[in-house]
Amino acid sequence: MTRTIRLAARQALLEQRSFWRSAEYALFTFAFPLMILLLIGAANVGSHLPGTDIKDTTVFVPGILAFGVIVAAYVNLGSKVAVLRHDGVLKRIRTTPLPSGAYIGGLLVSTVVTAIFITAATGLIGWLAFGAVPRPGELLALAGGLVLGTVCFASLGLAVSSVITSAESAGPVAYASFLPIAIVSGVFDPTFSGLPGWLSRLVAAFPIHALAQVLQNAYAARPFSAWDLANLGLWTAAGATLAVWRFRWHS
Amino acid sequence: MTADTVTADTVTADTVTADTVTADTATAGPVTNGAAVQVTGLRMSFGGTEVLHGVDFDVRYGEVFCLLGPNGAGKTTTLEILEGFRAPSHGHVRVLGMDPAAQPARLRERAGMVLQECGFPRQARVAELLDLWRTYYPNPRPLRDLLEVVELTEVRRTQVRKLSGGQRRRLDFALALAGDPDLIFLDEPTTGFDPEARRRCWAAIENLRGLGKTIVLTTHYLDEAEQLADRIAILRAGRIELTGTTEEVAVRAGLATRISFITPCALRQGQVPLPDGIDLAVRGPESVCHTSNAAMTMRLLLDWALEHGLGDLGGLAVTAPRLEDTYLQLTTANGDHA
Repeated sequence: MTRTIRLAARQALLEQRSFWRSAEYALFTFAFPLMILLLIGAANVGSHLPGTDIKDTTVFVPGILAFGVIVAAYVNLGSKVAVLRHDGVLKRIRTTPLPSGAYIGGLLVSTVVTAIFITAATGLIGWLAFGAVPRPGELLALAGGLVLGTVCFASLGLAVSSVITSAESAGPVAYASFLPIAIVSGVFDPTFSGLPGWLSRLVAAFPIHALAQVLQNAYAARPFSAWDLANLGLWTAAGATLAVWRFRWHS
Repeated sequence: MTADTVTADTVTADTVTADTVTADTATAGPVTNGAAVQVTGLRMSFGGTEVLHGVDFDVRYGEVFCLLGPNGAGKTTTLEILEGFRAPSHGHVRVLGMDPAAQPARLRERAGMVLQECGFPRQARVAELLDLWRTYYPNPRPLRDLLEVVELTEVRRTQVRKLSGGQRRRLDFALALAGDPDLIFLDEPTTGFDPEARRRCWAAIENLRGLGKTIVLTTHYLDEAEQLADRIAILRAGRIELTGTTEEVAVRAGLATRISFITPCALRQGQVPLPDGIDLAVRGPESVCHTSNAAMTMRLLLDWALEHGLGDLGGLAVTAPRLEDTYLQLTTANGDHA
């Protein structure tokens, strides 16, 4: 067991080094959420949610926190594993006695580290630029939401990697499969509304909406919803099941 | 039999000295009937189609064994079974005394594998990747040693994506060697390489041999098999046609030894009768005959030359059947281009 953990840590270290070495990739991963945070955030300064005294940015910043978690866990891990499979790196790992748990564990640890970096950068900029901070009493809910969100989207990332058939389509598939839902979930626009009732109910069933809600509630001190946590839990289970069932070491 | 026909241009495969074999590698691994790999009656079917029809061969400890055959003969499938990636449909397979399908993890601690077209983490550096690989094994080889064996010391800080094809392949070898295995599998190690890259890969494989490693390689290049292998098995359409050293394989294929000499003027001008009992063909400046009994033919030929005052027959040459002739006969005579 300790050997597996040690090997996973070594693996995670190489993954992190590789991530930061491909400068444009790392930059893009970070720049995308942070740019949206600054640009859309600046456009919403001074406005409040309709009929409340909650500032737009108080809800918008945690929405971008959710977005960052999804980019780190779902997009990055999903496309990374697809490329590793396509390039035959996974196949090569199978020629060694490395336990598969140590390898996948290493990828997951590296993903969590990236998610922590993005979350810290988003939270810090949200605080410094827009004064948005989580409510002190909700810190535990915020941390819990971030952890559950990371686990949920990492499992979905592993699942989606099995559907991606080429290295070239990895990034586009990963982004295209969540960005539209993120937009209609109001992640980029706290005042987003006007969807037909059935569509907004459908959107609410997705984990993007649930994660955004959990984090926004922690910032805006809105009542905590057990349904959102159950939603994330169910999607985690579905993602993990699909990931294990469909996982292949070769393309 | 002509097995004892010694010729000047015969390739001798055992000229490599074993002076670099160290005590820890020479004694590595339990000896199981003296064979590193035992394959008996191996059959493999995919969806009702049988691709291996009863393959048998043994690989001895410390030798370079080559599975030679055209594309589609079943070389990679055989290797994948030995590596534990596939369970055979029928037959008995033992690798380092283990059943590969039943104990893949244990086997991989002691057998290094180089697959065809296997990628690397793109941004990893050479030494960093080797160091990571070393952590996977209980008794890894020292990093410096790994870099030296495959001649990658100069590029140890280079990112893998910047290496040439030949350098990548040598890094493949080094990764397969990281756990100091007793046995190394190489699947078509130089396919698609230019001559210089091939030469350096061959040198790296010779270095592996020098470490006392047992090596099983597949190839469809004759010169590669001839250059590297101590013993060869020719695999064609899912069957082993022949096994042995390059010379043995050629002899067992029933190919004739070629005897030639410069046509003497007297013979050319028809002043001398052709020898009896020899199928001698006068082809202008060269006279040639093929025989399955070189010694007897030589005796007849020299007696005939003496009798007719032709002296020692200038330019007399005896050529053992070459692997190339064997291979071409086996793979083309039956119209087989699988």
